[in-house]
Amino acid sequence: MYGALEISTSGMIAQRTRLEAYTANIANAATFTDALGRNIPYARREVYFAPGGGAAGAKTEGGRALGVRVAAIGQDHTFQPRYEPSNPLADEKGYVKYPNINTVFEQMNAYDAMRAYEANLAAAEATKAMMAQALRLIA
Amino acid sequence: MRIGDLSNDGAMPALEAMVRFAGGRQRLIAHNISNISTPNFQQVDADPAEFQQSLGRAVDRRRKSGTAGSGLSIENRAGTGVRQNADGSLTLDALAKKPSRNILFHDRNNRGIEELMSDQAENLAAFRVASDLLRSRHDLLRMAIGERV
Repeated sequence: MYGALEISTSGMIAQRTRLEAYTANIANAATFTDALGRNIPYARREVYFAPGGGAAGAKTEGGRALGVRVAAIGQDHTFQPRYEPSNPLADEKGYVKYPNINTVFEQMNAYDAMRAYEANLAAAEATKAMMAQALRLIA
Repeated sequence: MRIGDLSNDGAMPALEAMVRFAGGRQRLIAHNISNISTPNFQQVDADPAEFQQSLGRAVDRRRKSGTAGSGLSIENRAGTGVRQNADGSLTLDALAKKPSRNILFHDRNNRGIEELMSDQAENLAAFRVASDLLRSRHDLLRMAIGERV
């Protein structure tokens, strides 16, 4: 049953990583420059999951395939051009590149990550309850 | 009567098998919950109904063979997802779950959080019942050994 706790922990870690990516996207929704002040907008982050990596110390391949891990964190370099001819960073046509981020979508995704985190937490609580129940067999 | 015979007597082996099964199934349910956002993920589970039937057959076999003081021998049938190891412990194979009634999302994951939570609650309840009954059997043994009636 310790494996089940590790699996739920891997789920919580994965969802927290996902939530951090979405909160970073929301925070940088209007970041249209890089560290050097060039008009290179913030690249939207997206977290991709894959099964496996949850049950540390698992002896079988089936056991090692349980749980979830962050397979990759992708970056979306597409941008939204906005017409701001008065902006000093505007191009010759008066457009400034902004990150391709819709804050409403990011908020909904963040809520989804939160709910998934809570589901993993509930699974961990159930596992802990089973462990406590099993310990009562001998004490 | 040896201690081994005492602990393998009556319903205790079946209760122990039930506790092991529920503990193993909890891992699979936790795996499904942790992969609720994973694209192309197919949920896995061990069928409790199949396990109950295997357990029932094992109890019947033991009763007919007259070896009441020995452990249960659960048959390793293909498709049940449960295998009994040489030491009596159970290994649950992660079998693909029957397709749920839920829609298939755009990431080809047919996640159903309500179904998962319901499976978890059902599994936890089964574990609690089996472990409570097992504990009461242990208490009876302890009382008998301690000659306290």
